[in-house]
Amino acid sequence: MRRLARRFLRNPGAVVGLFLLLVLALVALLGPGLVGDPLEQNLLERLKPPSPEHPLGTDQLGRDVLARVVHGARISLGVGFGVVLLASLLGTAVGLLAGGLGGRWDNLLMRLTDVFFAFPSLILAMAIAAALGPNLGNTVLAVALVTWPIYARLVRAQVLALREREFVEAARALGAGQGRILLRHLLPNALTPVLVQASYEVGAAILTAAGLSFIGFGAQPPTPEWGAMVAETRNYMAEAPWAATAPALGILLTVLAFNLLGDGLRDVLDPRGR
Amino acid sequence: MRQWVWVFIFLVLGGFSLAQDRTQVLVYGGDWTDLITLDPQVVYEFSGVMIADNLYETLVRFEGSDLATLRPGLAESWKVERGTTDWILTFKLRRGSRFSTGREVTAKDVVFSFERALALKGPGSFLFTDIAQLKPGATKALDPYTVEVRIPKSASPQSFLSILTFTIGGVVDSEEVQKNAKGGDLGKDWLTNNSAGSGPYRLVRWDRGNQVILEANPHARIKPKVPRVVLRYIQEPAVLRTALESGEIDIAEGLTPEGLKAIAANPRFKVVRAETLRLQYLGMNMKAGSPFANAKLREAMRYAVNQDELLQGLLQGNAVKTQTLIPKGLLGHNPTTPYKYDPNRARKLLAEAGYLQGLEFELLVSTGICGGGVPCPDVAAKLQADMAKAGFRARIRAIANAEVLATYRAQNHQVVLAGWSPDFPDPDGNATPWADYGARSLAWRNSYNDEVAAKLARQAALETDPQKRQALYKVLTEKVLREGPYVVLYQPAQPIGLSAKVEGFLKNPMMSAPLWQVSKQP
Amino acid sequence: MAAYLVRRLFLVLFVGVGITFVTFFIAQVVPTDPAVAALGENAREEQIREFRERYGLDRPLLVQYGIYLRRLLALDLGRSLRTGRPVAEDLKEFFPATLELSLAAFLVAVALGLPAGVWAALRQNRSPDLLVRLFALLLGSTPVFFLAILLLDVLHRQLGLLPGPGRLDPYLIPPPRVTGLVTLDALLAKDLAAFRDALHHLLLPAFVLGSASAALLARMTRAAMLEVLSQDYVRTAWAKGLAERQVVLRHALKNAALPILTLLGGLLGGLLSGAVLTETIFSWPGLGRYVTQSATSLDFPAVMGVTLLVGVVYSLLNLLVDLLYALLDPRIRYA
Repeated sequence: MRRLARRFLRNPGAVVGLFLLLVLALVALLGPGLVGDPLEQNLLERLKPPSPEHPLGTDQLGRDVLARVVHGARISLGVGFGVVLLASLLGTAVGLLAGGLGGRWDNLLMRLTDVFFAFPSLILAMAIAAALGPNLGNTVLAVALVTWPIYARLVRAQVLALREREFVEAARALGAGQGRILLRHLLPNALTPVLVQASYEVGAAILTAAGLSFIGFGAQPPTPEWGAMVAETRNYMAEAPWAATAPALGILLTVLAFNLLGDGLRDVLDPRGR
Repeated sequence: MRQWVWVFIFLVLGGFSLAQDRTQVLVYGGDWTDLITLDPQVVYEFSGVMIADNLYETLVRFEGSDLATLRPGLAESWKVERGTTDWILTFKLRRGSRFSTGREVTAKDVVFSFERALALKGPGSFLFTDIAQLKPGATKALDPYTVEVRIPKSASPQSFLSILTFTIGGVVDSEEVQKNAKGGDLGKDWLTNNSAGSGPYRLVRWDRGNQVILEANPHARIKPKVPRVVLRYIQEPAVLRTALESGEIDIAEGLTPEGLKAIAANPRFKVVRAETLRLQYLGMNMKAGSPFANAKLREAMRYAVNQDELLQGLLQGNAVKTQTLIPKGLLGHNPTTPYKYDPNRARKLLAEAGYLQGLEFELLVSTGICGGGVPCPDVAAKLQADMAKAGFRARIRAIANAEVLATYRAQNHQVVLAGWSPDFPDPDGNATPWADYGARSLAWRNSYNDEVAAKLARQAALETDPQKRQALYKVLTEKVLREGPYVVLYQPAQPIGLSAKVEGFLKNPMMSAPLWQVSKQP
Repeated sequence: MAAYLVRRLFLVLFVGVGITFVTFFIAQVVPTDPAVAALGENAREEQIREFRERYGLDRPLLVQYGIYLRRLLALDLGRSLRTGRPVAEDLKEFFPATLELSLAAFLVAVALGLPAGVWAALRQNRSPDLLVRLFALLLGSTPVFFLAILLLDVLHRQLGLLPGPGRLDPYLIPPPRVTGLVTLDALLAKDLAAFRDALHHLLLPAFVLGSASAALLARMTRAAMLEVLSQDYVRTAWAKGLAERQVVLRHALKNAALPILTLLGGLLGGLLSGAVLTETIFSWPGLGRYVTQSATSLDFPAVMGVTLLVGVVYSLLNLLVDLLYALLDPRIRYA
């Protein structure tokens, strides 16, 4: 374990990613207490450039951009983790069942996965969000529903590879039931690629959710969600570029952090996959 | 390999010659996504009506912003007579009006067009069937240049004439349309993206989502000053502004207030503010059990809206201040504005109604753009902030416009931010829907069931004497202002940015734009 | 081989029906009446009732889905509630624009990503490698909608280097619509000025849409190349003193082609559905904008048509890639 950690820390990208994430986590946890009200408007102070009072300027309703971006960090991280948690749970369960039960079940479950895989994800998420009504909770649900197949495939492949391995054979010889073998022996060993994938997917989920909010199928105003903020302020790029750039940079840095972290984790845990 | 790279670079970046003289093409950018058909008897969307208005002529028409004086169109004269059971309207067609096909416009085309409107039952057909009570067979060609229309006594011939200025009365070339009809559709499919009218332009191309191209109708009586018009779909206000500034388009509709300010300050451009008959308002649901059934709460709400700041801060001159239900520009408009932002008074009223801690409610808004070019969520956020100081805690729910409407129609809203435009330029286009519960329109949606208001609206609709009518509307507007379920926020203007080279552009309050009058300097 | 092909095509069919099934039942969760959505704020109650009857919205769910499937057999995708036209017609109108944009973006991605990846692999851990990796990371992490806004603001508004939205200069007479791909139509009409202008208009949106794919492709190419470059036969080639160019083209790239090919199929499919955001900002008249508007107005026949089309195209592309795989790699045989 310690060796793994050392290897991880020798990777400069991973260190930068980890550092960025720590900063983001701090901002998300403590930031909202330190900045002003992200919803307070002052129409006389619309679209003002950065100043000591408003370090990142104000938006089209005279709201403090810094306060909104800081509050947005909590939302975006929440969305990212929420999506990945839901999707990986669902995907892992499907993959485990498909790989473990095999035969007709495997076939059925994997064809279902194919359907969702072939689905244009953003469009499906849009349809779901439109049907359920646009709000952040539904966005999380929608993005999770379009991203779970990747975990299902990963886990199934792992399970198939591991099933014939000695320790599983041994467990079977000792009389362990199918369910026990799946949960106790196969699952823990199949989790490594899931973890690597998940670290990338947090970033990807944040991007997708921001995109959905951008076209109006996600967070609703006045929620300071980053994608929605870019959408609301994009028409003021000429007068107030800071208002759209700040939340966009928030997205960029967060996604970057998770990508770097994913690269680092993969190097350490799954050296073949590079 | 390398040569090909250079060929490619030349192809992409090389200079190119423009195929057309710039003064001979008018490029009009805006959000035309509501455009679904250009069939005059079916079209009912803003952009569709605006375009179809340039393709087809009507018997009578309004000119410019004057919605009170009827002028000759295809009919050079007309008369209205009182028959025993009907009103009889007789139209004399002028000779020599020609369709883009070269055929002359005759009475049989008028009959065909009117019958077509009744048969197709398009979204605007209620204007003919309900308001004018026009029946199939009631339109007759007496000779090639004389048309007679009969409508029942219970309908108003004045309303019918003003309806006839609308595209539903646009006359199509009956032979051409019948030639292109399929399976009894009366040419509806074909006319969706083809034209067969006598207007100054004809439709040459419609690439959905991209552009509509009009060209001068070679046979038309009215010759346009600019022979080719390109309507470009541009939804993003920022992109629209850049397109105008860089000369890619001549007219830009849908700019933000900031964009307009910048345009207005630049001598190369100018800004036209088209008046509208639209009202942006808050509707409070008065149904039993709703807090807004209480008159005190509705009164408090009227004091909780900071109309002046909304107009100055957000709309920045792109709207008119008004508080009553008939818009400025129509007979019966009541200019009174008795309500001012007064948070203390609102709190007091709330307390009197028993809401000592204030009231929390849901404010339903569309995610789209509200009148005056401001996103509805921005309007809602401004209202929310002002209301908070007055004891109202609004939870904003911004959803697709369709869902807002559905919720509103099902009477499932608490407070809704909505807009209303009359279907035809007459005060009754507002008074009945806003005041008559039985009309199952706005009054019904907000559960405003007041027999006195409904009776006033009905009485005023049939009153033929303008002065008496005005007096009735004054009583009605005052009453609804104080008791009704509405807070009128503003009457938006439609701001349009133009290149300084463009002359003669106008958009009237019914949102039609006679493009044939526009000219373009080099 | 034939049996394999039939089985795979059957699978595409299954995926297609599965997609309509899922979309159809998502559509049923809608709390709103699509009739209200289609008819607008001034619509009367009778109009709404009539609309529901005309589109069969008053029938039981399974009946509606059964009718849909039966019509689908005749390639009839139903009518759009918003435009009132057959969905198939609408798709025919909007798909070419998306296809043109995606193909252009795909070319951009390949033209940028492939050489960058090769270059980075050849100079592993030196400045070109670091530069490529940094760019790839940044581009892969940038929200595409912001990239679009930023580049449009800088390159179009401020510098005037590239044209703005739309597919062609409005002062040019557009070439007659044959394929719906403006560049191709211009060539067919032998209109070089229009062709150049159309390419010019494609450049920025294609770059924006293709950038994330370029980044991904660069990373994958680099990884695949590194793998191959460490193999013995490449070392041998190098040891024999072959020129770098030869080593790269003849030996390494050929062998790295398989994993890259797999990625390419997925990329093009992803670009087709990923065009939504780019199209919105560039006023690009494609499927993405069509489906956004359809979803906004709860026009589910249209949404189903789009998801079906894109899903089937995506599956077919994957099939194509698998077949190419067999051609390139003689070890693979399909039973």
